[in-house]
Amino acid sequence: MKITPIIGLEVHVELKTKSKMFCSCSAEHFHVDPNTHTCPTCLGLPGALPVPNKTACEWCIKLGLALGCTPNESSFFERKNYFYPDLAKGYQLTQYEKPFVINGKITVDGQEIRINRAHMEEDTGKSVHIIQNGEELTLIDYNRCGVPLVEIVSEPDITSAQMAKNYLLKIQQIIRYLGISDADIEKGSMRCEPTINLKIEDNNQTFYTPLAEIKNVASLTGVQSAIDFELNRQLEEFKQTGEVKSKTNKTTRGWDADKNQTFLQREKEGSADYRYFPEPDIPHIEFTRSEIEAIKSTIPELPDEKVARYLNDFGLSDYDAKTITADKDFAQIYESVVNLKVDQSFAKFVANLFLGSIKTHLNETGEELNKNKINPKYFLNLFESVQKSEISATVAKQVIIDSYQIGQDPVEIAKNNGLIQVSDTGTIEKLVQEVIASNPKAVEDYKKNPMSIGFLVGQLMKLSKGSANPQLAKEVLEKLLS
Amino acid sequence: MDLKNLTITQIQELLFSKKITAVEIVNFYLERIKKIDSQIKAFITVTEKEALKKAKVIDEKIKKGESVGKLAGAVMAVKDIFLTKDIKSTASSQVLKGYIPQYSSTVYQKLIDEDAIIIGKTNTDPFAFGGSTENSGFFTTKNPWNLSKVPGGSSGGSAAAVAADLCQFALGTDTGGSIRQPASLCGISGLKPTYGLNSRFGITAMASSFDCPGVFAKNIADLALVTQITAGVDSKDATTVDNPVPDYSKLLKDVNLKGLKIGLPKEYFSDPINSEVKDKVMLAAKEFEKKGATLVDISLPSTNLGIAVYYVLVPSEISANMARYDGIRFGQNTGNNPDIISYYMNTRGKYMEAEVKRRIIIGTYALSSGYYDAYYTKASKVRTLIKNEFVDALKNVDIILAPVSPTTAWDIGAKANDPLQMYLADAFSVCINVAGIPSVALPCGFDSQNLPIGFQLIGNFFEESKILSVAHQYQQFTDYHLKETPLSRGDARRAEGF
Repeated sequence: MKITPIIGLEVHVELKTKSKMFCSCSAEHFHVDPNTHTCPTCLGLPGALPVPNKTACEWCIKLGLALGCTPNESSFFERKNYFYPDLAKGYQLTQYEKPFVINGKITVDGQEIRINRAHMEEDTGKSVHIIQNGEELTLIDYNRCGVPLVEIVSEPDITSAQMAKNYLLKIQQIIRYLGISDADIEKGSMRCEPTINLKIEDNNQTFYTPLAEIKNVASLTGVQSAIDFELNRQLEEFKQTGEVKSKTNKTTRGWDADKNQTFLQREKEGSADYRYFPEPDIPHIEFTRSEIEAIKSTIPELPDEKVARYLNDFGLSDYDAKTITADKDFAQIYESVVNLKVDQSFAKFVANLFLGSIKTHLNETGEELNKNKINPKYFLNLFESVQKSEISATVAKQVIIDSYQIGQDPVEIAKNNGLIQVSDTGTIEKLVQEVIASNPKAVEDYKKNPMSIGFLVGQLMKLSKGSANPQLAKEVLEKLLS
Repeated sequence: MDLKNLTITQIQELLFSKKITAVEIVNFYLERIKKIDSQIKAFITVTEKEALKKAKVIDEKIKKGESVGKLAGAVMAVKDIFLTKDIKSTASSQVLKGYIPQYSSTVYQKLIDEDAIIIGKTNTDPFAFGGSTENSGFFTTKNPWNLSKVPGGSSGGSAAAVAADLCQFALGTDTGGSIRQPASLCGISGLKPTYGLNSRFGITAMASSFDCPGVFAKNIADLALVTQITAGVDSKDATTVDNPVPDYSKLLKDVNLKGLKIGLPKEYFSDPINSEVKDKVMLAAKEFEKKGATLVDISLPSTNLGIAVYYVLVPSEISANMARYDGIRFGQNTGNNPDIISYYMNTRGKYMEAEVKRRIIIGTYALSSGYYDAYYTKASKVRTLIKNEFVDALKNVDIILAPVSPTTAWDIGAKANDPLQMYLADAFSVCINVAGIPSVALPCGFDSQNLPIGFQLIGNFFEESKILSVAHQYQQFTDYHLKETPLSRGDARRAEGF
């Protein structure tokens, strides 16, 4: 039996425009007093009309272009009709027939994942269910109602939970590079709904299990766990019932993060009828070629291009390049240092400090990299001292953190702390004689086994408080003991 | 002083020359409302306090020699589907009974900003769904020419108020004829402008791609004056068009009837037209001919599809536009219910009028999966066809002349239980809305029962200036627009149809 997961993802991203999608209310809704960012339009009061937010439309196109999509020459909004208390107008404005952008693709784990479309829509309000004085109440906060959302719909090209997670990370990274959303899954500014089934090949027969769409997944690990759970569940169910996909048996399942399992929410998804039709309150929207080009020109270098450049120009390893470019700001600060000197060994040196020292330090303190605390000149000074063997690689890794914290030249810090490497043979000889004199046992051992020289080198380094050039110390020790 | 049959400009001359005060103007109309509106029932709300307060402010300004707005002293009635801040706006539906909006519609606000005075809110079919005001959630308005007849609709309250001289002008909306048809049945003038000329913001939506706010008055000069203020792009309505607004009043005289080519579409002079209506409208055409215009027979072959297109597309949009009336954020509701579905069903079931429900059901059906292409898509295609026919016809003629309503005002109740007959009464008005072009209705005579007959002049997109000026010329050599209703003349017996 051969089993292939078929996974497609719908990703909703809340744009961080100043105002909402169809009115001038602030789009901010996280930790805001309920129903303070509202107006007749987003409350769906009688007579209120929507006017589209141009920036949001442009950002949707920008995102689409970054995902390799093609813009539609003419787009329009449509009404998706359904009743729910947090849906003020009784319909959601979205795009159905003619989304802003279609047919893109991105590469994840070396595999191409096709993007069906990216379209613009509006968020709904929030229903809060509480019990007050023993009575069940539903309160509605319309602050989120009308906040711009882009929905990115992938083709079902994803074949594992891990790949789904990496796809999300990639999308998230691109969105953050574009600066159009925080794309924070935990805060809900990025939401994901996987649709899953299995292709099962057995005895020259092929079966497809019924589709399941999973809702309420609120974290990256949740996405992975939910998909893994669902894949297993579908396989078990197929083994028991043999039920295969039909036009009417798609289900909607919720994700219970506490129990770590999906549960049935709605059956027969195929019968839902949203009665889409073109939104008559908004004329068709057309972007000219030059407008599209202008949007395109605002797209910064994207992660894949950056990694390629780091490999080529800086000679970094694939791992280092990807780690540095994971965050756009981090990469930019890195580049601000590297740009000081066109030299691959400098670029690699800086990469080691950024990843080996600074990032470790930031991980410990939980801080973000602060570009004001990075002085490119200091890195160059440090690089030159290491090149001249004045400072060891080990010391460099220490002093760069001190430098980052107190804003002093790392070379000065090394000097002030006596960490400048001693590479003067005379001084080293004196230290070697002292080590030989105080470690007769170890000297005996060395004569029997030359491999044990490490101990004597260690003693010498200790005596020099780490300032001796260890290579030179070893050479002098070998000379004097021979 | 008798203000009946004076234009707004004439009344303003009296006001500015201090022969009359704004308070006196308001009182003139308030007294008439008190005296005769109990018979006509044009008003849902009379805004006596607001009107007098505003009048005093205007009088004070005039006294001090301060500048006043372009419509200072002009007393208006407003169809109840226009939201008017702090003034009840019910859309004549039980759904919004007692609803006081927090904001005002753009068109109303523009008029108020020019010192127009609101005297009241007028009755309509609920949410403008109808053609007689009989569907109103509160009461039926009577035709001032004959109280046993309908005033037409949906803007029947506004038309009746103007016809009975209860105000100088009134606001209405025209989605399928709702300004022109009541204007015609009440013997007054009404302009349905190009879609996108007047903002729809703050007016309860019926069919968003059809709705056109517009004005009623007793004469074309007043229509031009008021439209000058209402027209123009609105940043709150994405479908308004950013064209410069012409000086309609100035351009009224700027037309030469000599050589004007007037198209008479044969489809509008055949079944179901009543012969008296046909004769009077033809007579109007002949009067233009006498003044040097050329009459051209034309054909708009898709006219008979108008009603079908209209009653697919309009209910479709209605079905979505009415979804917000769920009783959650505003409006009446049935209070505690076991679950949200019951809440919706009971609230909407209890308060929505039969015609409202009927249109929601038709529209929901037309948009349903499996029917969408056969109804909505097909109707949209025919819509383009109808529009193109008008545009093509207007390449060969300057203006189109046609009747507005196939008949004069009918008896209250005659069609109330026959929605299809009621829909068919829109045969000559809906195609103009389907196309989105402007049309002005004005009176051209009376039938044997002394009920007014009107005709419409139809122009190409944004040709309000042209149709208004031709209509204005007509009113320079006819006096149908100056005839007073029996009620206005104090002849209640005739008004009651004796």
